Amino acid sequence: MNIGTVLKKNKLLLLVALMYLTVLILSPDKAAKSINNSVYYLAEMMQVLPVIFLLTVVIEAMIPKEMIMRGFGEKSGFRGNLLALLLGSISAGPIYAAFPISKALLGKGASIPNIVIILSTWAVIKLPMLANEAKFLGIDFMILRWVLTVIAIFLMAYITGVLVKKKDMPTRKEKSRLLEIREDYCIGCGLCVKLYPEYYLMKDNKAIVIKMPERPETMQAILTSVEKCPSKAITINKQEEIS
Amino acid sequence: MDIFTIVFYVIAVVLTVISLVKDKKKTFAAMKKSKGMMGNMLSDIVAIIFMIGLVLTFIPPEMIKSVLGSANTLMSTVVAALVGSITLIPAFVAFPLVGSLVDVGASIIPAVAFLTTLTMVGVVTFPLEKKEFGTKFTLVRNGLSFGFAIMIALTMGVFQ
Repeated sequence: MNIGTVLKKNKLLLLVALMYLTVLILSPDKAAKSINNSVYYLAEMMQVLPVIFLLTVVIEAMIPKEMIMRGFGEKSGFRGNLLALLLGSISAGPIYAAFPISKALLGKGASIPNIVIILSTWAVIKLPMLANEAKFLGIDFMILRWVLTVIAIFLMAYITGVLVKKKDMPTRKEKSRLLEIREDYCIGCGLCVKLYPEYYLMKDNKAIVIKMPERPETMQAILTSVEKCPSKAITINKQEEIS
Repeated sequence: MDIFTIVFYVIAVVLTVISLVKDKKKTFAAMKKSKGMMGNMLSDIVAIIFMIGLVLTFIPPEMIKSVLGSANTLMSTVVAALVGSITLIPAFVAFPLVGSLVDVGASIIPAVAFLTTLTMVGVVTFPLEKKEFGTKFTLVRNGLSFGFAIMIALTMGVFQ
């Protein structure tokens, strides 16, 4: 990694460091006090980080997401809603990481209310994050907010289902390449590059495809990387869809 | 360490051990993936936490109390919800941030509104969402989320 990308990746940290430097020059007392204040929260955060990490790992390794995803079509009813809630709660990453997966599920017949449930729970209700919330805001706060949010999400899902129909949604536009990475969604984790350096490369914090797979057996390897991508940014387009 | 954190630790460790016993390879693969994701966030997390330190030093608690306190709840809640809609920080670091403000006297009503819109309403991600689901869906979903965020916040205020 060159200096440019390191700086870009840590620009917020750099900004804060500059702020501290300014404060240190102008008023060393206040800088010391600020650091004191921060250390308390840093220690609290470090306490809860391993828990969040382990819970994320366990969810990823043990819960069969594919099985859940088969469960919410147009007629899946309340059970489908609950599955959507479950899928959203166990997933990691920010809300925009949920867009490509939800879009794919929509294509496979998921209903609009279920899509709203997935997107919303994905955003607010993270199982590993509950540990974090309980830590900083208290367990009563966490439970009450969870209950109210779930109720709100269900109401929102039904209202959206009434207001928006599938014809209001755009269909997937033309595909171009066999293997591609949607830049908007790549979070730059570098996993694909680590797995298959032959096909992927990191460029400006984003992964890019450097070689197209040719033989079917390499395709299988590529499929693994598509599956593993945490934000589902890697897509394979079937031959007949390539224009 | 408080009792809840310890309970969470016990649960997390027990589950990890079960997962390792069940499928070692899958668990290690998952660890690699989570490590990558968390590694990417770590610098932002540290940055925000040190920013909290600055904020708490330079903005006196009396001021936080008067602006975000319970005196003018509705106004501060709407403002908090708006700020939450346009900012894009991981929920991850939002909890210590909001926790620190509540510690020094901010009312929980705007705090909840901020937490909810922060994650559910996305002004920055609006174009992405629109591309995938269309303008109507995106407007309806974000609009409803904003309204419900305020309702959730006000309801929590009644209970606490």
